[in-house]
Amino acid sequence: MTAIAFETYYLGLRTTRRFLRVPANIVSIIFFPLIQLFVFSQLYEDIVQLPGFGSQTSYLAYLAPGQVAFTAFMAVAWSGFGLLVEYRSGYTDKLRVSPIHRWSILASEMVPLFFQAAVMAGIILIISLLLGASIVTGVGGFLLIITLAGLFGLALAGASFIPALITKSEQATSTFSLLLFPLMFASTAFVPEELMPDWMQVVNTWNPITYVIEAIRSLMVTGYDWNAIGAAVLSIVILGIILQAGTLWAFNRVSR
Amino acid sequence: MTEANDSAIIEVRDLVKVYGDDTRAVDGISFAVKPGELFGFLGPNGAGKTTTIRILATLLRQTEGQAWVAGFDVATQPGEVRRSLGLAQQTPALDAFSTGRETLELAGILHRMPHPEVRRRADELLELMGLTSVGDKLTGSYSGGMKRRIDLASALMHRPPVLILDEPTEGLDPQSRTALWEELERISQAGTTMLLTTHYMEEADRLCTRLAIIDNGQIVVDGAPDELKRSVGADTVVLQLTSGNADLDSMRTKVRQLLEGMVPPDAVSPHPEGVSLSVPNASATVPALLRRLDGDGVLIAGLQMSQPSLDSVFLKYTGRHIREEAADQPISLGWQ
Repeated sequence: MTAIAFETYYLGLRTTRRFLRVPANIVSIIFFPLIQLFVFSQLYEDIVQLPGFGSQTSYLAYLAPGQVAFTAFMAVAWSGFGLLVEYRSGYTDKLRVSPIHRWSILASEMVPLFFQAAVMAGIILIISLLLGASIVTGVGGFLLIITLAGLFGLALAGASFIPALITKSEQATSTFSLLLFPLMFASTAFVPEELMPDWMQVVNTWNPITYVIEAIRSLMVTGYDWNAIGAAVLSIVILGIILQAGTLWAFNRVSR
Repeated sequence: MTEANDSAIIEVRDLVKVYGDDTRAVDGISFAVKPGELFGFLGPNGAGKTTTIRILATLLRQTEGQAWVAGFDVATQPGEVRRSLGLAQQTPALDAFSTGRETLELAGILHRMPHPEVRRRADELLELMGLTSVGDKLTGSYSGGMKRRIDLASALMHRPPVLILDEPTEGLDPQSRTALWEELERISQAGTTMLLTTHYMEEADRLCTRLAIIDNGQIVVDGAPDELKRSVGADTVVLQLTSGNADLDSMRTKVRQLLEGMVPPDAVSPHPEGVSLSVPNASATVPALLRRLDGDGVLIAGLQMSQPSLDSVFLKYTGRHIREEAADQPISLGWQ
């Protein structure tokens, strides 16, 4: 176990460097949420006057939680690519010829994703604060939000790794990531549930992303709502177990 | 479970690898490499060289047969095997976003070398490979030759007793190739046992102390390069005769007379520049021939010796030339 931790640490430093040394990586993660935050808050600012929005006065404040979750999503939606590129170049083979546990190879891809998702989400959160949103639960709430974002990212990452490991095709992997996009929209990122058509409300109820967003929203707007936070943690855990189990199975199958 | 032969550092017994689509990539290979040897696998692409290498490096499981590296069974003791060997793959496998130094240090750390030693050894290898000036640049910016050198260096970080190289000079320009050959010779002289695969005759000829010629997943013949070439035929020695006062023909007759008894009559044939002699093991017999000729005033302006090539050896044992097969075979990478 400590051997795996040791190997994951040093291999994780490497994958983190791989991420940080390409500025486009960071930009491509925060760009879309940033645009949505900035543009939609102004374009649709009057939407908060609809009854379904209750006592909300700022659409920006409503959007922010969804965009924080969206950022975590963007941080991991194409995360399987790194492994695929290295498998193709033979680098993964080089690692496998080192006296390391093969699980360290997978762990070194996954663990940094938690940090990447958390930090990127933190950046968007800070920007939304600068644009006028607020976190009623203060610094503690801020840390809890980015931790939830990080865990959510880690849980969701499997959705990119599984097609990557099974198909070993960049096209299939990115197509699959694209299919996840509608999930972000069929959530309370943009409108409250009451304003959704019936069929979308059903999707919304089963959408783990919504629970994460609602937990973040409570931490920003109302206070420590432990029901909402608990629901978010539960959805993350269920999502994580399913997708990470799938990832472990796919990795095992392909690495001897 | 049968045990490995004590005197061999690499041993392979009846190795077979059948892929899912029923191709027998390796079809019953057996060989042994003694410590300190520079052993070569010569054969066209698709012959089974890379597959054998991957099995030895514990990247692939064999279908049948056994293999040992440094006494450890590749199937049951992969960890120990990996600690005992370094692998340089056909295409250098590097993380483009790590610097050369980071690449070396990571290899050292993963082999559990203590940190101060990792740093020292990385400096040493960068120096040895002439990469000190680019050690802190990203390997993605390296040239082909530099990539191979850093890949080789990372395989040597932990000072493995065995180094395995798959097509080490594939795709390199002549200067880089020669430089790499010199480096490989240095490594061999330092005591590392090396196993390399190649489809270049010149490479096998120059570097290898022993050679196995592999074709269609089987070893067709093995032995030292000189031995193999001698088994194919005689060497050719061309003596360039200066005519001086006599004409070339009478010189030739004189040579024939003088060498009577030393070589069979049909070994001497005319050559535009003098005579051509067909003698086994020319480097051993030529001095005596020259002494005989010299004594009787035959003026030799020059001498050329050539041996049958390894291609002739390949041709003899397989009926084909190596070069014909060299192109057109896809490289198989990654997990299978």
